[in-house]
Amino acid sequence: MAAEDLPSEFDVVILGTGLAESVVAAACSRVGQRVLHVDRRSYYAANWASFTFNALLTWIQEIQAESLSEEVQDRSSLVEEGEELIYLSGSDSASISNLQVFCYVSEEAEEEEEPANTTEEEEAGAAGEGAAKEPSETESAGSKEEEAGEAAEGDEQAAQEQGEEPKADQPQPSAPPSQSEPTRKKISYTQLVKEGRRFNIDLVSKLMYSRGSLVDLLIKSNVSRYAEFKNVTRILTYRHGSVEQVPCSRADVFASRQLSVVEKRKLMRFLTSCVEETEEHQAYNGRPYLEFLREQQLGDNLQHFLLHSIAMVTEDTLTKVGLASTRHFLRCLGRYGNTPFLFPVYGLGEIPQCFCRMSAVFGGIYCLRHSVSCLIVDKDSNRCKAVIDSRGQRISCSHFVVEDGFVGADRKVATPTRLLSRAVLITDASVLPGDSEQQVSLVTVPPTDGRPAVNMVELSPSTMTCIPGTYLVHLTCQSVGSAYEDLSPVVTRMFCMAECQDEENRPAVLWCLYFNMADGSGVEPEGHDLPSNVYVCSGPDGALGHEHAIKQAESIFLKILPEEEFCPPAPNPEDIIYDGENTSPTSIGEEEEEEGLTAAGGEGEEKQQEQQEEETSLQPEE
Amino acid sequence: MAGGSVSECKEYLFKVLVIGELGVGKTSIIKRYVHQLFSQHYRATIGVDFALKVINWDSKTLVRLQLWDIAGQERFGNMTRVYYKEAVGAFVVFDVTRGSTFDAVSKWKHDLDSKVKLANGNPIPSVLLANKCDQKKENSNNTALMDNFCKETGFLGWFETSAKDNINVDEAARFLVENILANDKGLPYEESNGDRIKLDQETVAAESKSGCC
Repeated sequence: MAAEDLPSEFDVVILGTGLAESVVAAACSRVGQRVLHVDRRSYYAANWASFTFNALLTWIQEIQAESLSEEVQDRSSLVEEGEELIYLSGSDSASISNLQVFCYVSEEAEEEEEPANTTEEEEAGAAGEGAAKEPSETESAGSKEEEAGEAAEGDEQAAQEQGEEPKADQPQPSAPPSQSEPTRKKISYTQLVKEGRRFNIDLVSKLMYSRGSLVDLLIKSNVSRYAEFKNVTRILTYRHGSVEQVPCSRADVFASRQLSVVEKRKLMRFLTSCVEETEEHQAYNGRPYLEFLREQQLGDNLQHFLLHSIAMVTEDTLTKVGLASTRHFLRCLGRYGNTPFLFPVYGLGEIPQCFCRMSAVFGGIYCLRHSVSCLIVDKDSNRCKAVIDSRGQRISCSHFVVEDGFVGADRKVATPTRLLSRAVLITDASVLPGDSEQQVSLVTVPPTDGRPAVNMVELSPSTMTCIPGTYLVHLTCQSVGSAYEDLSPVVTRMFCMAECQDEENRPAVLWCLYFNMADGSGVEPEGHDLPSNVYVCSGPDGALGHEHAIKQAESIFLKILPEEEFCPPAPNPEDIIYDGENTSPTSIGEEEEEEGLTAAGGEGEEKQQEQQEEETSLQPEE
Repeated sequence: MAGGSVSECKEYLFKVLVIGELGVGKTSIIKRYVHQLFSQHYRATIGVDFALKVINWDSKTLVRLQLWDIAGQERFGNMTRVYYKEAVGAFVVFDVTRGSTFDAVSKWKHDLDSKVKLANGNPIPSVLLANKCDQKKENSNNTALMDNFCKETGFLGWFETSAKDNINVDEAARFLVENILANDKGLPYEESNGDRIKLDQETVAAESKSGCC
């Protein structure tokens, strides 16, 4: 907590705590590099962060206030002969745009038992209280943009008239038979704020393929010890105005009630035939996957499932790509559950922090609210030899890794800026109520009327991302227009916004947020107008999985340390066991000891087995 | 719960945080408590997340205590959520010979309470350790002051400890664990989280038996 000076020499300095940067930090610390990892923000994980409800309100406020970047300070006095400066950009506010907030629940506290006292999150406290206490003066205007604060009020550009008038009362559709409580509970805005700390709302929405590169890396590096996961339990699709379950595992196919016996047989045969590439497949390689599917005489149902929910591609995707994607899906099935996907408990924002923790455990130094203002470049070699931090300290380093947003536009290779459209909804019921209230679902919404395909992830409270009685719904697509333009049609079709006596029994949206985020998939680590030992990490991309960031991190690591292993397993602290009575250690003690931990003592193994009984333990392939 | 084979032995796994300024003896306390060791030479702990202490609490209760040191590297006060999450107790340590480390105690306590809470929303039980009491200069008696400070700041209590002379370390730990157990009201660890998945290295069993198609 003390404001000490940082050491003045590191091997690798990293600015930005997004996923790729954090993986690079962990990988470098792990093999003994001295790492300084800083972020200008007050929170970890950059645009990969997850927030409590209150912290999200603060984040929204900050974006809307468009915090001006600090004045560029002249640092030329710190430059020595033969050196020149490259100034970095002070803020990355450009990565988020078109932010809009709508609230459809009463902002008045029904039972004012105690003042909206939010000691929870210091930063968030202010926003939370402001919002909660602000009376909803006018029902329409007051309930959008309610996220409070002077900033929001002054900022009219975001406000957009909605058809419905948000009202206090909640719709009370009849509950599914299995629900224990006969009616849904009303949840007020005050309650959302009061229990705000129990939300973990991600800025990005992704899932982890159970055999994807992120899961493999978590297992291989032992960073997995810092997190737990939930299976995505269902894959759903939106079709003909309703939500249907996509049968994807063998068990699903047999249990499916929507499929005829003939369809079941066809689907099984098709999926089996996909696993190995055949000559027939090759013949279609250059033609659209849809054509290939049509040729298989599968029928509309199956074709829809296979194209949109299993391959998750569009109608013009080539067969080669469609089949590869289908195979990946099938390979990931059944490793941990009935779908190919996992989701981290407490949200995706945990993942970069897990890598940061690993880096810290191996000596990485962490500072938030701390930035790098410029680089010192050696003119002769065109290498970055030091950085100057936001306090004006000169810190020498051999490599510098930086989040895309901090690199000035003039230094970057001009790439067309693509955007992602995002929506985050807090709803009061599942889009497809089932036997369990704790389903985690991926919903694929095929493209319609020139609007792109939308991936929707519905999280139940079991993921520790929302409070009981609510669901957290994330929507993502490649943007065509603003996030609101792209996604609100889907939201309007699938949810009801206010007090609607909804005959279709759709879930009600309590609160929602739309925004656009820059799509990181176009940014390359190298090739910019930057010194050769400076590497750029892109922000989140629009794909469902994490392959982009993980591949990028690995390639940056291999450029920095071509001879070293990428994220070898860290020793397991549980292997260092000292029994209460028996003072002799069972194994290892030396810090250098890294390998050979497989020879853990008997107690360690016992422990493993016990764990197995409680939890589905997972196994890597050997 | 695991260990159904052994009659009614209850097992608990508790994550306990050890926080405080740099050099107050966090690592030494852990080493003393867990490993029965003390070294004059401070060495930043590299590569170890936490130390595990197994306590046979009574004939029916086994407690596994994970003591999480802040990596000295997180000394600028920016711990990840990974560090805090699901902790059920904490020691906040200061050095009696350095007043500034005591001044930082309330900051640490505040940080702790803002970042982690029990399921019921209460702060996690925490105990204040006045470490290096073997080096205390004058024999001042601050008991009343300290009791009052604990009350105001929300500590369950405080102990004068010395990792070097092994004073009060076990007592403080016992005191904290008692309070954690009292909070726990007989809920074995993770009973409610049964279907969470851990991804681990070791277990190489039923991989993909349930394969799909």
